[in-house]
Amino acid sequence: MPSNATTSSGLQRLIAQLAPLLIVCALVFALPLLLNNDFLLNKVARYLVLGILTVSLGLSWGFGGILNLGQAMSFGLGSYAMAMALKLKTVPVHTGASGLPDFMVWNNVAHLPWFWEPFRSLTFAIAAGLLVPALVAAALGWFMFRGRVTGVYVSIITLATMVVINLVIIDQQSYTGGFNGITDLAQLEIFGVAFDAYGRATYYLVATCVLLSLLVAFAFTKSRAGLIVQAIRDHESRVRYFGYDVALYQIFVFALSAAIAGLAGMLYTVVMEFASPTFLGVQISLSVVVWCAVGGRQSLVGAFLGAVLVAGMQGALSESAAFLETWTLVMGALFVLVVLFLPKGLAGLAQVVLRWIVQRRQASSRGVAQGVGQTEGST
Amino acid sequence: MDQFIEQIVTGLSIGSILLLVALGLSIIYGSMGIINLAHGEFVMLGAYAAWVFHTYFGWSLLTSLVPIFLVVAAFGWVIERYVLSLLNNRPLDTILATWGVGIMLQQAVRLMVGSELRYVQLPPALSDSMNVFGIPISSYRVFLFVVSIALFAATWLLMNRTTVGMKLRAIIQDRSVAASFGINAKRVYALTFAYGAGLAGLAGALVSPLKSVSPDMGTGYVVDAFMVVVLGGVQSLAGTVASAFILGELSGGIAFLQNDTVAKAIVLLAIVVLIRFRPEGLFTARVRA
Repeated sequence: MPSNATTSSGLQRLIAQLAPLLIVCALVFALPLLLNNDFLLNKVARYLVLGILTVSLGLSWGFGGILNLGQAMSFGLGSYAMAMALKLKTVPVHTGASGLPDFMVWNNVAHLPWFWEPFRSLTFAIAAGLLVPALVAAALGWFMFRGRVTGVYVSIITLATMVVINLVIIDQQSYTGGFNGITDLAQLEIFGVAFDAYGRATYYLVATCVLLSLLVAFAFTKSRAGLIVQAIRDHESRVRYFGYDVALYQIFVFALSAAIAGLAGMLYTVVMEFASPTFLGVQISLSVVVWCAVGGRQSLVGAFLGAVLVAGMQGALSESAAFLETWTLVMGALFVLVVLFLPKGLAGLAQVVLRWIVQRRQASSRGVAQGVGQTEGST
Repeated sequence: MDQFIEQIVTGLSIGSILLLVALGLSIIYGSMGIINLAHGEFVMLGAYAAWVFHTYFGWSLLTSLVPIFLVVAAFGWVIERYVLSLLNNRPLDTILATWGVGIMLQQAVRLMVGSELRYVQLPPALSDSMNVFGIPISSYRVFLFVVSIALFAATWLLMNRTTVGMKLRAIIQDRSVAASFGINAKRVYALTFAYGAGLAGLAGALVSPLKSVSPDMGTGYVVDAFMVVVLGGVQSLAGTVASAFILGELSGGIAFLQNDTVAKAIVLLAIVVLIRFRPEGLFTARVRA
């Protein structure tokens, strides 16, 4: 009987915790019903993708304590994997019938390089978009966490690694499209459904991936491994003394975060219709950190909303002439204020407000109960 | 042989600029544990200060060095006092805060003076070239080398032979004990940060005749400067000097053999590997904690 009671209260707690996540996802899915503008929907889809990317950073930073300043590396790798597959499917306009990507022809490459060959299969490309970032992250994580590299040094290593990969992509123009990236892509087509960047199908694809990645991240944070990862964040040496393989858990959360970022990267290519070396640049990487901090790094939904809100506001304001110049200034100030006064971000603020409301309600209902008791006593 | 010497001289020149930029960063990071991502913006402010003093007051670069130092140091003081001092026990958050400050400074400059490139003239006295080991090299680059070494020496003396330096080292050792001896940690920290910012400003001013001045010029410097500090070891000023010149020679040398991109990638990867195996830097002795 008591065990039954605890499981049902556990279930209640789970539902309570899942509620904000499900409400947000329901809103995301309902949006096309309200917004009858394909151009705007495409823009929203872009912000949703950035939201997925930010959730991935929240997982490693907020829950794992690993501040990855090179999160855009995984994002970019995913984006390129998708772009390579879609490039090979496109009708070669500028080239002969050989089907060689146009920029290779311009750079006098005669044959498709071996590492492009498997990308003729979309299944391979999607798998690569998830696994390549995860494997690179696992290797980098193995390298760092086995050596007990922590804190700031992790940030510097991840940043430097991303810059190196970015330099290589720009330098190897004949294989990667260099500075221009990979453009003129075919539409993604899965099971006969074509995903036009400005179509509803693409929006729902992105929305589904938002739901999926939030659920996966949520499940991880509630799992045993997820709890241990959070314990490591708070007291690394204590967890080590309990006999846990600390590095293994850190590598895992790092790789999982990279895979989700890779998924976001693939979607970004579908939504934007190109891949560019700026996708794995310092700018995006640091922006993700900002979004995550503003939304709340220890809240998955918070991180997601932080990205959608800040990136969305940025997009909207940078289009209006009045704010074009001042917006960056406003964003910098907002960011400094959040770091100083809201270390848990907007999600933390929401929690404080919620707790305050609940306490007030409890206090007032207690007051009512006392009042009732008094009247009963008096009669 | 001539080419070889030329490479070495080029490397020295890159190294002295790296040292100029990294010196301030090294002090701030080494003594306060603050990863100052706004450091590049201090460099940029210094370069703009040089431009302003030159175009509006007609001062030569050499005569405006002291005012430039003071102006940028004042910026640093304000930022430490009103932003960073609120983040005492949250070192990772200082990365975020200084980055936010950096964007604001960049955008403020863009709003005030526009994003066009600006140019600062070489001081007339240093605009010719001189012969070093039979190789012509601009006197300005020799001057930069001398100045960077001189600033290093001044900084070393400041840290090791003055009361402020002694107080700072006491705070680094144990803040609460230092405070109980009547050392005003807040004031010393603000001064330290201001000094580091001033050094960055000087670096920017001194580099400005070699490159065009623009609001986003600092971004490139800050990454390089970090690499120097990490390579040299956080609390070792001498290490900073050594690593600045090693990195200078390395990137000069590899760029000579390969191209610039490969040079940069190799240097970055080397640093990643180094952090993994010697996070305390190349030039610091291992100390038992």
